[in-house]
Amino acid sequence: MTQTGFLTRRSLIAAAAALAAAPAAIHPTLAATTPWTREAFVAAMAASGRPINQTQAQFDAIQKRKPIAIKRIEKYLTERLGRADPAVMAAFEQVPREYYHYLYSSSTPTPGDAYEDNPKPWALGYGSALSDYLGQAYMTQICEPKPDHVTLEIGTGSGFQSSLLSRIVKESYSIEIIEPLGKAVAKIFAPLGYTNVRTRVGDGYFGWPEVQGGFDTIIVTCAAQYAPPDLFKQLKPGGRMIIPIGQPFKRGQVLFVYTKDAEGKIHSKRDVGVFFIPMTGAMMNRPAPKPGAQ
Amino acid sequence: MNNPALGRAVLWPLFLISAGAVGYEIALTRYFAVAKWSEYGYWVISIVMVGFALSGVVLALARDAFARYGAGLLAALPAALVLTAAVGFHLTTTNPFNPLQLQNPATYEPQLWNIAGYYACLLPFFFLTGVYVSLSFVLNAGEVGRVYGFDLTGAGIGAACALALMFVLHPFALVPALLLPIAASAFFTPGRWRRVSVTATLLALLAGEALLLFGSQASFNEFKSIYAPLNTPDAKVVAEIRAPRGAYLLLDNFTERVDTDLSNNAGMLGLPGPPQTFGLYRDGNRLASLPKPGALDAAYAAAGLDALPYKLIPDAHALLIGASGGFRVAALLALGARTMDVVEPEPVLRDALRHGLGPSPAPITGAEPQIIADAPVAAIRGGAGPYDVIDISADFMDAAEANVTAFTAEAIAVYLQALKPGGVISIPVSIRDFPVYALRMLATVRAGLLQAGLQEPARHVLVYRSAWSVRILLSPVPWDAPRIAAAKAFADERSFDISYYPGFDPVAGRAAIYNDLPAVSFDTGEISSQGQADAIADEALAVLEGRETPSGRAFNLTPTTTDQPFFYAVLRLSLLDTILKRLEILPQAEISGLVNLAVLAQAIVIAALVLAVPLFAPGRLRARDPAAAKPPILRAMLYFPALGLGFLFIEMFVIDKASFYLNDRASAFALVLTGMLIFSGLGSMMEHRFEAAPQRGVRLACLIAVAWCALVGIGLEHAMMATIQLPWIVRAVLVLVLVAPVSLALGLPFPLGLSRSGTGGMLPWAWGLNGAFSVVATPLANLIARDAGFSRVLLCAAILYVVALLTFPAPRNSAS
Repeated sequence: MTQTGFLTRRSLIAAAAALAAAPAAIHPTLAATTPWTREAFVAAMAASGRPINQTQAQFDAIQKRKPIAIKRIEKYLTERLGRADPAVMAAFEQVPREYYHYLYSSSTPTPGDAYEDNPKPWALGYGSALSDYLGQAYMTQICEPKPDHVTLEIGTGSGFQSSLLSRIVKESYSIEIIEPLGKAVAKIFAPLGYTNVRTRVGDGYFGWPEVQGGFDTIIVTCAAQYAPPDLFKQLKPGGRMIIPIGQPFKRGQVLFVYTKDAEGKIHSKRDVGVFFIPMTGAMMNRPAPKPGAQ
Repeated sequence: MNNPALGRAVLWPLFLISAGAVGYEIALTRYFAVAKWSEYGYWVISIVMVGFALSGVVLALARDAFARYGAGLLAALPAALVLTAAVGFHLTTTNPFNPLQLQNPATYEPQLWNIAGYYACLLPFFFLTGVYVSLSFVLNAGEVGRVYGFDLTGAGIGAACALALMFVLHPFALVPALLLPIAASAFFTPGRWRRVSVTATLLALLAGEALLLFGSQASFNEFKSIYAPLNTPDAKVVAEIRAPRGAYLLLDNFTERVDTDLSNNAGMLGLPGPPQTFGLYRDGNRLASLPKPGALDAAYAAAGLDALPYKLIPDAHALLIGASGGFRVAALLALGARTMDVVEPEPVLRDALRHGLGPSPAPITGAEPQIIADAPVAAIRGGAGPYDVIDISADFMDAAEANVTAFTAEAIAVYLQALKPGGVISIPVSIRDFPVYALRMLATVRAGLLQAGLQEPARHVLVYRSAWSVRILLSPVPWDAPRIAAAKAFADERSFDISYYPGFDPVAGRAAIYNDLPAVSFDTGEISSQGQADAIADEALAVLEGRETPSGRAFNLTPTTTDQPFFYAVLRLSLLDTILKRLEILPQAEISGLVNLAVLAQAIVIAALVLAVPLFAPGRLRARDPAAAKPPILRAMLYFPALGLGFLFIEMFVIDKASFYLNDRASAFALVLTGMLIFSGLGSMMEHRFEAAPQRGVRLACLIAVAWCALVGIGLEHAMMATIQLPWIVRAVLVLVLVAPVSLALGLPFPLGLSRSGTGGMLPWAWGLNGAFSVVATPLANLIARDAGFSRVLLCAAILYVVALLTFPAPRNSAS
């Protein structure tokens, strides 16, 4: 081993330690570069075609609940998965959830529901629901997003999941099948500066074949009896496809996680770790599942 | 009190109002089935039917006042009924109730208020209808047999008309039509009130129709499966069929494809995905894929979970149970099946096979294969076979309610007899929600194999699966090594897993699992397995050997039989506390058991309140004339509930048996309901023949009922199986022949009891008692059938008529 080599190794170890200690790399956005104020919120809502009147007191009440919800998420992920991924936590810090609370069928903003004490799904209209934030945190971490990843979501819904992923990954693609919902939600990313989110309305069965190189993660929220073969073709080797099953108002759903092995064969895992969302402090203290049991 | 002039005139409007009310009830049932989910409609409607019972209580407590103003009330009620029916339905359709949120402990509270809203908007109509009927009894106390006869025959005709209307009207448009018979009742108003009544009712009718036709319209719940496809870009409805069994819509949209369980390695195998299709929906639920114009492409079939039997048996002669819109026919041909018979009992799907539907072409154009309309058991008894493969399609169980009989132990025994020695039966089970369904099917398979005389069931079974579905293969000869090896190779190539075969080692099997299926404790909610797991493999052998398993302790794994044909009933209702803790994860199909329990609890509370009337107002039940006989309250407290329960128990038993016999729940329901109401109405009109000796009439009627129960209990199953191949119309007539004698008899005891109830509040109270226990009867019979079998329901009915016989409330004379 040469001195140069030794130094190189030392510097690598130091760099790795520094990376572990520092917050994960998160894409800068409007919310990250400028203060998230009532004025910024109202302006973003207006720019996304969803005007809102909100008082400072109402805005402050939401922001006051946010740190508590973030701690709840961190504790939940630690219990369920052994640790809370700093990148996921940073994404939750950055994405203003109140911006996604909106009933599209009646054009009604509902930001006052955000960061609720008892996490639950909220109706968006058009048969879609904004999932509870603990379930979304779990799903995001299960995706194991990395800064160089490209992700695809079939079923945009509120856009919150794509937004979370977009804060961590390089590109976040999303396809919505419900036309009025998809068209409305397509407008909400630009006002926040989320320029790496791409959406469209249409058939998700064939994925997004125009994207060269495929996807590291594919989330399918509206699956039939089988996962579409074309999506597996667009899944990179080592990538994972996640299919949540269950009615939209369940807090947490069964997640089917699909991976490709070296031969190209598909393996699936029925992940029920998100099944039982704790409602009380006593349940929150349950130990994390044993390794390999997920 | 009896006013002949008024009374006679009351009977025809009573007939019309009973017809309209039953039609309204059926229309509400259909509305909930289409717009929401049927089990919640059952909940709401069962409870609002308590309006009948409450009306009896109110009239019992204030009989004199109601009798005094009877003529005016009867004149006012048609208009009130029309208005409450229209407003009630309008408010029902605008109620934002979301059943899915009811299952979530964090979101259920607002939904309870929505359910309360249903009660509030529907109770007035049923209460006022009850007042009308009850008042008719009070005003015609000397002719209760005729009154009851008009009430029942009106209800029977109303049911038949409502069902006939479903051929031409969408379920959401039934109520505006059913306002008409209710409104027509005003024209029979006698005396000076007639003009006022007619005018008021016509105005109410105009207002009601305007509200229903121009107000906000009923629509599908946005979480039903039709909603998303209907709202995709360029989606359109390309065909529509209206029938009592359902409102069918054929949709053209980009989400529709053959819904099969396909290997995730399909691309690697060089196989294409399933083609785009039309989507056929019944009552907003997806029923099947139908082909688009052009050649029916089934190249994907080799990647399907259901392909294995055809790999094991090339050139098979198959019995295909459920054609899946024709795609499974094409799939079997693509897999190499030489010939096949196709069982497709669902009439719209069957018709589409030969004639197409809208722009969807007929997938079968030649004389072959033969398409059989009967139930699978009837098809086999009809002589078709023997077969190499008997293959049940994955969507068959949910395609029609009566199809569940194809998955009973008795049916499996019949299939085995129709199989060639080296043949295979292929049975599908979905495990998307609960893997325990696969274990319940294995328990049923074991019972079927034993019935067929195969004493070692575990040697005749092979189980393999994907992540979401299981296939259970049965063979009349034990599975040998070459066939097991072929099954392993098939599964390995497609990333499927073998969960059981004779000699299978579940521990060793965990080393190479493609689709990890952890065991989750229903009790604790924790994952109870370690590492890679196959929760089905862990318990399969124990279930096949009839031993107790952890899942068997948590769930009901008794075999599905023709006596207990409830496949989606694995919850042990005795573990209610645990079930409520796990409410969020329960499959939709299991919810009906819980809803039934809730309905029963509420109905019992209401019935107890009605029973308690004599305790808090005993004087109200006595006749005004002090010399008159004392009302036999204690006997009445047993007699009328026994009649209410007994009648419904027999009705529900016959509906279930007729569903199997006619292989169609909708027509069985219509036939039995209408037949029993009309025949019992005719029976009640014979009440006057026993005026001199009512005890004799009751004895005769109850003995006929008990004897009928005994004969049916002993011989019905055999008689049905002996005649199940007869044409449908002959079987329908036989069903009517079966219900006619017992229904005629069942019509007698109620009016004979009422006619002895004197001039106090006893008569309306007894009417209320009968109504309240009729509401109890439906969920109670469901519960007994679910947990003990329909034969026990029949036994209970017989016992109830013995109770009625012993407690006939002949009044005691006060002087004695």
